Amino acid sequence: MALSDKKYSQRIEAAFAKYPDKRSAVMPLLYLAQEEYGWVSPEGIQEVADLCDMDPTQVQSIAGFYTMYSEKPKGKYWLQVCTDLACALRGADEFYEELKAELGVEDGGTTEDGLFTVEHVMCLAACDKAPMLQCNFHFMENLDMDKMRAWIAEKRAEAAKAKK
Amino acid sequence: MTNTVRIIINDQTYDVPAGMNLVDAAKWYANDDIPVFCYHPKMEPVGMCRMCLVEMGTIEKDRATGQVVLDENGQSKVRWMPKLQTACTTTVSDGLVIRTQTQQVQDARQNVVEFLLTSHPLDCPICDKGGECPLQNLTMEHGPGVSRMAFSDKMRLDKHVPLGDLIFLDEERCIQCARCVRFQDEVVGDDVLAFHERGRSLQIITNSEPGFDTYFSGNTTDICPVGALTTADFRFGARPWELTEVPSICPHCPVGCNISLSTRLDRDFGGKTLIKRVMPRQNEQVNEIWICDKGRFGHHFSRSEDRLEDPLVRERSGRLFAKSWTDALAAAAEALKAAGSDVAAIAGSGMSNEDLWALRQLLAGLGSRRLGAWPPTHAGAEVVAQVGVGQGTNLGQLGRGDAVLVIASDLEEEAPIWRLRLKQAADRGAFLLVMNARPTRMDDFAAQTIHYETGEAVQALLALKDSDAWKQLAEAHNLVIVAGAEGLSLDGSRALAGAAANILLETEHVGKPNSGLLAVLPGANAMGLHYLGFTPAATLDIMQNPPKVLIVTQADLLLDDPTAAHWLAKVETIISLDLFASGLTQQLAAVALPIQSFAERDGSYVNGERRVQRFYTAQGPMGQALPAWQALSRLGEQLGQGTAKLSAAAVMVEIAQNVPAFAGVSFKELAKVERQYPDVGGKDLYYGGTAYRNRGGLGIQIPTAADQGQTVARFEAAADEPPKTRGKLVIVPSVRLYNRERTFRPSALVHARVPEAYAEINSADAKKLGIQDGDTVEIAIQNAPALRVRAHVNGGAPKGTVIVPRHLSDTAAPLAVTVGEVSKAEG
Ligand code: SF4
Ligand code: SF4
Ligand code: FES
Ligand code: FES
Repeated sequence: MALSDKKYSQRIEAAFAKYPDKRSAVMPLLYLAQEEYGWVSPEGIQEVADLCDMDPTQVQSIAGFYTMYSEKPKGKYWLQVCTDLACALRGADEFYEELKAELGVEDGGTTEDGLFTVEHVMCLAACDKAPMLQCNFHFMENLDMDKMRAWIAEKRAEAAKAKK
Repeated sequence: MTNTVRIIINDQTYDVPAGMNLVDAAKWYANDDIPVFCYHPKMEPVGMCRMCLVEMGTIEKDRATGQVVLDENGQSKVRWMPKLQTACTTTVSDGLVIRTQTQQVQDARQNVVEFLLTSHPLDCPICDKGGECPLQNLTMEHGPGVSRMAFSDKMRLDKHVPLGDLIFLDEERCIQCARCVRFQDEVVGDDVLAFHERGRSLQIITNSEPGFDTYFSGNTTDICPVGALTTADFRFGARPWELTEVPSICPHCPVGCNISLSTRLDRDFGGKTLIKRVMPRQNEQVNEIWICDKGRFGHHFSRSEDRLEDPLVRERSGRLFAKSWTDALAAAAEALKAAGSDVAAIAGSGMSNEDLWALRQLLAGLGSRRLGAWPPTHAGAEVVAQVGVGQGTNLGQLGRGDAVLVIASDLEEEAPIWRLRLKQAADRGAFLLVMNARPTRMDDFAAQTIHYETGEAVQALLALKDSDAWKQLAEAHNLVIVAGAEGLSLDGSRALAGAAANILLETEHVGKPNSGLLAVLPGANAMGLHYLGFTPAATLDIMQNPPKVLIVTQADLLLDDPTAAHWLAKVETIISLDLFASGLTQQLAAVALPIQSFAERDGSYVNGERRVQRFYTAQGPMGQALPAWQALSRLGEQLGQGTAKLSAAAVMVEIAQNVPAFAGVSFKELAKVERQYPDVGGKDLYYGGTAYRNRGGLGIQIPTAADQGQTVARFEAAADEPPKTRGKLVIVPSVRLYNRERTFRPSALVHARVPEAYAEINSADAKKLGIQDGDTVEIAIQNAPALRVRAHVNGGAPKGTVIVPRHLSDTAAPLAVTVGEVSKAEG
């Protein structure tokens, strides 16, 4: 497991090709690291620093500034529920509370099986389809708890199957 | 300055240089201290804290005619900006108008302070900065006076985060000004500090290996406008208002940084005056407002356990016995009388000018002129006296159009503040060429690097003429050549300095400020040794032809030179004047006289730029130790050479009368100060941080021969014969800033950062010898005990060369370049 894996080489090259200097590619590469490790792990930071010729402190600083990078380990599915004004008007708060209760976690928490991490975020620009959330940077829209329960069960089943 | 612009500050008109920062201009010309937190006159503005808000406008001009528009009262009309502006991000321009004292400005300042205090612990009573804290001062001056903060909202964060071994962060106190971050990035070039998270969660972090570990880290604690950064040395050590600031000069390297020793009477030192910390003292031409961590944390040797406190005389049994000064001086005098003129002296470069003069007079009285300088590793001083950097040189002025050549020196390790200032010169656009046989840190900042074969520095310099770099050097407005002696014999170092001088002469870069030669000489007073007649050549002669009596003053012969025991065996009597009881005193001295360190007495040093600088008595005495000049002149009195001198100042008077280089120098002249730009220190701590105002003197720079208009002839610059290896390896000693020298080892807090003794071996050589990275190896050279070190097989050393840093273990490493054998050690 590392960014040196062959499967990333093309995307790394593509990131470098876009900018005049290596340093500028730090953000796309941090996404790759997050994809690889599930979060921006210390190994990921060091690898990105080496790739971009930067001090790891500076890479960490960038990872810390942007909320799209997670510096804590996350579940396999990172659920970011919008609770901003427009969504709130369509019941996002209740939805969020129920979702947490369903999974048995607090804000920002991860389920024991390591599958789901839940947190609330500001407007994701899909206000018309509230309640909505972003799962691993993909939108899930017009949600209600029935849909969510079915989806959660599905993912759990998939995980159980994969284990066998 | 050439271009000036007219600006109006609080209704007064000022003509100020174009391009100047508004905060600086207001302070320098209008005496108006605009409060700042994030702005620092030595760094680029960032406009982060908003403390410097002022009302700002421009004088209105008619677009068509370009005429100034007048209002009904015939005054020029000002177009005010709708909101307050940050002064720190403003560059002065013609017609700029500001107001700094209006209600609106005062309200803004109060709001910014109040805002900062909502997340500040206000633990001033236990804060190291309390009493000299910009936030404290500005709160008193501009703050609201009453807190509206709900205590339940108090931020609770980690208060003891070690950023490295030497610097601690208090997260609660940080006000996120980024001065520390910018210092590391802009000034040092090691961006190991950064912000993490944002908004109220913003914090300083380091994620580098090994943490915040540069040689300059201590400076961040001075410029931090709060007590967020503290040093391991001074943390909870004293309150600033209990401290007496004593001007001094750093004794560790040729830069000669101006420092301030903060002292107080201390229980831990038997109620005597103790140095609690070392702070930089502003001298824009020498160290600006910076010092390195060796200077800051390397003061503990002045009261180490190893200090020699009583005069000792060796009795027939071979044991040393404590004696009174009278008896010890009598014993020394007796030995000297018996030797007649067969006497020589070796003086270390930590000796003050006054000490050296007293020593020279003593020997003159005995009919000897054998004055050796220690360590005898660099012969460039005599060349510097001819064509050194011109009077008035300020490395901080080098920039675009100028050039700097650094050769045969690892500047970061040998003269850190020169390295810092030359890095900034390169940033400002100076062409920096770095030449060495191996890669060094300086390479990172160079426009061009040239790696030559070990020992071929002179050849490489001579070959420059045919290279692309030549034009850059020859046509540079100013050219400074910095010549070290790494990988060179003493003759080689003289030839290198000579070859460098020839380039300077040929390209007409001598006898003017900001051009000329800098030699990276060992120790704080190597130029003083030169001007007072002590030479490394005389030392070599003493080694070859030992005298009957040898006087050794503050020179660590046994720990510096592995062959010392061998050649000293032929000396009949050694009289040692030393700070320490170990080493030469313990093992070989017939008479040992305790002398005072730089901290306990006054005196003067001449730095590498030939600046005579004065230091003052700061710390209480150690045992019966005397200043060396006093011990020596009392010894002279015993020998019938006239009455002993009474003060260092009186000795300086005599020097000035007798040594032309010191003409006009006196302690009074050395103590003169003038207003320096930028004007840090004083009551407005917030402007520069706690870099102290210079109250001890700026010193006097000795003119070179070229400065005085003398014609300087070309120098002999024949290349050194490469050492005959006969199948052996070339052993090249190198310098590490952090080492186990007796003047640094007692600073225990830095121990973790002193490397374990090692030698760098080229991988091809290592392979041949069956040595692997990390093996323990033995280095054998002639007339010396074998040295055991760890092998670093990392490619840093050129083929055929072994780099052996000096002073990393208690066994001496070679003093000068030599040949030797390296083998894997058993067990
Ligand atoms: S630690 Fe000090 S210098 Fe660094 S950002 Fe915080 S307040 Fe500023
Ligand atoms: S650069 Fe040299 S003189 Fe300056 S503080 Fe460091 S060791 Fe002392
Ligand atoms: S408010 Fe929820 S997506 Fe915009
Ligand atoms: S914004 Fe100007 S000093 Fe901070």
